[in-house]
Amino acid sequence: MGSVPSRAKRLESVIGICLLAILLLIAVGVFIKQMPKQKKDLTFLLPYGFKTLSEIEVYTTENLYEKINGKAPLYIDAGFIKLSTQRFVSQADENLVMELYIFDMARTRNAFSVYSVQKRPEVENLPDMQFAYKTSNAFYLAHGQYYIELVGFAESDELFAAMAEVARKIPTNLAVHDDTAIPEIEHLPKDNLVPGSIKLYLASAFGFEGLTDIFAAGYQLNGETITAFLSKRSGPKDAEAVAESYRSFLIENGATAKKATNKTLEGKVLDFYDTTEIVLSTGPFVVGIHEAENQQSAENLAVMLVNKLSGTANNDRAK
Amino acid sequence: MTEQNDKKLGRRKFLARAGKAGISIAAAGIISYRLYDSQGPKPGVDVESLVTLPPFSVPSEEGKTMSIVKGADRRVTVNKAIELLGGIKRFVKPGETVAIKPNVAFASPPMLGATAHPELVAEVVRLCYKAGAKRVYVTDNPINDPASCFTLSGISKAASRAGAKVILPKDHHFKHTTLERGKLIKNWPIFFGPFEKVNKLIGITPVKHHARAGASMSMKNWYGLLGGRRNIFHQDINTIIAELAMMVKPTLVILDGTEVMMTNGPTGGSVEDLRRANTLIASCDMVAADAYGCSLLNLKASDLPYLAKAQIADAGTTDYESLKPITATVS
Repeated sequence: MGSVPSRAKRLESVIGICLLAILLLIAVGVFIKQMPKQKKDLTFLLPYGFKTLSEIEVYTTENLYEKINGKAPLYIDAGFIKLSTQRFVSQADENLVMELYIFDMARTRNAFSVYSVQKRPEVENLPDMQFAYKTSNAFYLAHGQYYIELVGFAESDELFAAMAEVARKIPTNLAVHDDTAIPEIEHLPKDNLVPGSIKLYLASAFGFEGLTDIFAAGYQLNGETITAFLSKRSGPKDAEAVAESYRSFLIENGATAKKATNKTLEGKVLDFYDTTEIVLSTGPFVVGIHEAENQQSAENLAVMLVNKLSGTANNDRAK
Repeated sequence: MTEQNDKKLGRRKFLARAGKAGISIAAAGIISYRLYDSQGPKPGVDVESLVTLPPFSVPSEEGKTMSIVKGADRRVTVNKAIELLGGIKRFVKPGETVAIKPNVAFASPPMLGATAHPELVAEVVRLCYKAGAKRVYVTDNPINDPASCFTLSGISKAASRAGAKVILPKDHHFKHTTLERGKLIKNWPIFFGPFEKVNKLIGITPVKHHARAGASMSMKNWYGLLGGRRNIFHQDINTIIAELAMMVKPTLVILDGTEVMMTNGPTGGSVEDLRRANTLIASCDMVAADAYGCSLLNLKASDLPYLAKAQIADAGTTDYESLKPITATVS
């Protein structure tokens, strides 16, 4: 009996120590959670002769609107995860300011989508990068899962040269985890393709909710720029269903059937307020032509697209 | 004494007590975790503490509701536009305090056209003082670092030089309001402080494409008065813009279409997003001003559902031509 109290005492001490240890762990956890996080800045892209003008700012889906207001849904709907921004300023001239925006869009195709749908017309594509262009005060790039904007706050040769340096650094200095190619881009015919004109609409292409994951591209044919589109669906049945629903949508909105000059397109050509629309499916693809002025050119392009996809399908089968 | 206690305690009793103590600690932890509020305490809002923005409008004058002036120099066009409506003295009386609410939503330079142009803001400040204003405030509520927005837009410098007092938003400026006949603005915090004791209110904003609303013009400019997590209103953007037009009754709005952001709004980013339209509108009817502003974006008034909603709510008319706007061209 005499040993019981001492055992109890030991046990009491052990339990006491355990409880204190738990409390200590909780305190450490609270401290870590509340400790100001050291943010990694974007100085790894800082150009020569420039310094940081601001701290890095990081935005998530919760607060992206604080930075870009009404444009936030465009990114969030396309899979946005995080935006990191920072301003750089010339060490020699405080008026030469640039702001770098790096949008993490989770996937290459999401980044390409926001890049392509916002692309300014008649701009200069950058030669060494697949998806990149510049305007007179800014650079825009899609690199892996990242969509990047580099905005100059002045029109200056010195600032522009520094921005070009940042743009050149991006492919080597900004590591990507999703550098997968976008196969649909390869399915589009190269002949007569307007460089840099490919766009990816993740939802509601051409005003129709049912058209998702649509790749559209401009082609220069007989003096007219014609828009061709394609989308890979889960299979031939799905592709036919989507094509049919888009045809119905056009007809509900005033389109009428038009006789095709090419027999293979019979029943697929529509007149839509004096423009030609072509919608069909081939294998797992929905393909078409959107608002072309010249029916013959539209049909030629549609056939070219279908042939390219047939070739692709044959190659896939051969493999 | 300790030994005596130990003897009395016994193992079973001790374990029971230790178990109870453990359960108590765990329960306290769980309750604390559930009650933890990362935002901290919020002041309660009772109906009596709700505020209402007073009307700032001036009596209407037949044929002098809206003016449209063509010209490249904002200082010249705004002077002419106000002169055509009867002059600044119609809107600002000697000794009055005026609040100017420019669009300062972004930390963006004037060349990108995402914010009100500093030269235009400064010129309106000067006009107010010329009319005898006792004090002119320039204020807005950008969510993202207001100091950066006012600095990089050039507005704080230009307005201060013209003699205005620039007011950046502070927590104590926000008070809750409920809009009569409103669906969304119910017991919602608004940026109220700077407008509480002023006599007149002038809105200044550029014409911009807006990814969500279609266009951002005079009515959308009042979005800056909303506090809280105002992004939730983007889900019903047309209703909230119409309700803002019902909530705010400005003295005058100045809609700047000198350079129009045609695409990629409301932030823009490239000067290629802008088109020079060399047009400035001054109006006592902001619905009419925005209905005209649509044409600068190659839109029709019917393309922006919030205009029709505002008209139904008697905030103004989309038929701006019925107001017989006075037009002029200046060099």
